[in-house]
Amino acid sequence: MHKRLLFLVGFLSSINLIFSLDDNSISFPKAEKLNEYTTRIPFKLVGHLIVVEAEILNAKGNFVIDTGSETLILNKVHFSNLYNHQKKNSQTSGVLGFTDNPYEKEVKEFVLKNFKLKNKTSDVINLSHIEKIKKIKLLGIIGYNILKDYEIFIDMHLNQITLSKVDTSGNKLDKHVYLEKIVDSINFKLKNHTIILTGNINNQKLKFGLDTAAEFCQINRTVNKKVLRYFIPKKKLLLTGVSSKKIEVLAGKLHRLKLSETLYFGPMHTILANLNKMNEAFGTDLDGILGYDFFAQKRTIINYKKEKLYFINYPLYTR
Amino acid sequence: MKQLLIYLGILLFILTSFNSYAQKGYRIEGDSVVFSFDRRDYDNATNEYHKERVSFEDLNIENVVVSGEFNNWSTNNWYMTKVNENKYELKKSIHDFSDEFSWEFKFVINNSYWAEPKEMDGNTVEAVKNGLRLINIYNLKMYTAYPDKNGNAIFRLKGYVNASEVIISGSFNKWDVNLFKMNKIDDGWELKLQIKPGVYQYRFIVDGNWMEDPDNTHKIENEFGEYNSLLDIKEFIAFKLRGYHAAKKVILAGSFNDWNEKDLVMEKTYYGWKYVIPLSYGKYHYKFIVDGQWVLDPNNPVIEYDEEGNVNSVCMVK
Repeated sequence: MHKRLLFLVGFLSSINLIFSLDDNSISFPKAEKLNEYTTRIPFKLVGHLIVVEAEILNAKGNFVIDTGSETLILNKVHFSNLYNHQKKNSQTSGVLGFTDNPYEKEVKEFVLKNFKLKNKTSDVINLSHIEKIKKIKLLGIIGYNILKDYEIFIDMHLNQITLSKVDTSGNKLDKHVYLEKIVDSINFKLKNHTIILTGNINNQKLKFGLDTAAEFCQINRTVNKKVLRYFIPKKKLLLTGVSSKKIEVLAGKLHRLKLSETLYFGPMHTILANLNKMNEAFGTDLDGILGYDFFAQKRTIINYKKEKLYFINYPLYTR
Repeated sequence: MKQLLIYLGILLFILTSFNSYAQKGYRIEGDSVVFSFDRRDYDNATNEYHKERVSFEDLNIENVVVSGEFNNWSTNNWYMTKVNENKYELKKSIHDFSDEFSWEFKFVINNSYWAEPKEMDGNTVEAVKNGLRLINIYNLKMYTAYPDKNGNAIFRLKGYVNASEVIISGSFNKWDVNLFKMNKIDDGWELKLQIKPGVYQYRFIVDGNWMEDPDNTHKIENEFGEYNSLLDIKEFIAFKLRGYHAAKKVILAGSFNDWNEKDLVMEKTYYGWKYVIPLSYGKYHYKFIVDGQWVLDPNNPVIEYDEEGNVNSVCMVK
């Protein structure tokens, strides 16, 4: 009898948990929902990070848009409260250890206004060091496993991202998303979650990862000297990564990057880094990372399914 | 003719003593005005549309244009001639100027970058603290504010005359507790900042003690149960519709006034129609109503669908 009661209590509390997880859905209060497939979310730049405002459990905070991250990451600093709340619940009902691995959490619903994404896994990591440096309340990071189902227009002119749902072959379900002309495009290779672009500097072929959350571009120390001739160092810089370790790096500008005959870039703020460890971890062989300056120079549309980037011009003169 | 020349000379002399824009960049030769641009005189340029400052060494100069009140700040009209790798010149007859002009002008690089004279560069100076370059000097350009004596925001704190240091710290400088020192004035403290449009929070730090701005009633509770002062920096945006000279009435309507079809009656100018309105940070949809007909802004390539599927012109204030 006792056991059965416990089971019942456990059952009830599990329903409770599912409900509360439903309440944990994330919404973007400032988003413009154009139709069932397309939504525009304004972002602000915090330093060079693309940050969108979101609401979860009545708490307001920010998410970083990060194509360099494989999953949705929730900030332990804010989501430990969530666990306490749940633990308390389960304690009162006498069922302990109901939550499984506290460092991985199923987000039952991830809601972009009325966009629902179900059963996305997320990592829970302490991101307080980023909060400290950027002086913002960071709820988490939106990564590849959320973004891949959309075509994503990262528009640094209108400071907004447009998310438009695509079918399995990458065609947009909404045919009327952009009115401005697409002026250029380029193919990329997707390696796990990493967007890989090939380009050249000084006639040397190079592989770059495209990362919306890289505040500076990066070039690997080990690239050909002919390439480094076009990296002009200016100063030393202290950087903090997601792992919260501080490293001193050489910062400067990378000149004359070309991705195709028509697609070339002005000088980009770049740091000279050792990418070998990262390449090992991600199973890549990148010569560099393209980040903020890429998007600052090109209004970029990412289509993961088609493995293609599209570009829209900045207006030369608006008023 | 002679009289005009003398007048011009005197005017130029007076203006050079007051106006930092005009301190260099032209000379008088006979009845011509020669504008001259030397890239070595400039450190930075400000982008016309996204307002970002870039270093001159990163600019691949394709053309230089003189832009001023005398040509309606056109960025693609008065092209200069390349003299050598650093110098560009443009000779203009004084007949090209009316005698009621203002001599404010700037040089524009590649039709989109405004050259900033070195002495106006308050930005980089502030990055030096205790004689050392700050580690995150790289980030300084990312701040949305910097001290500037002609800045668009004046902060004043009355009293506290015996304090030894007052700092203003806010979301515009990532709450830096050292960077923006206020200047002592007769009855308190003052600092002028140039700030990009946006809603910001700030506080004063008087000898280490944080406080809200006592003269600002707009405030928001912070995580310590105290208040941060609120400030909304707006920018004056001129909406222009070129042509339509025969139209009787042109209205500006947009998301900034809830698409009101009567309020913003545009003023007729020689080039067409104009309306100037202060706007906060953000994206705005708009259209013109020309004698009852809704039209898009023909000079703005940025257009979007709205939530009802209509097509609108889009203006970004940032």
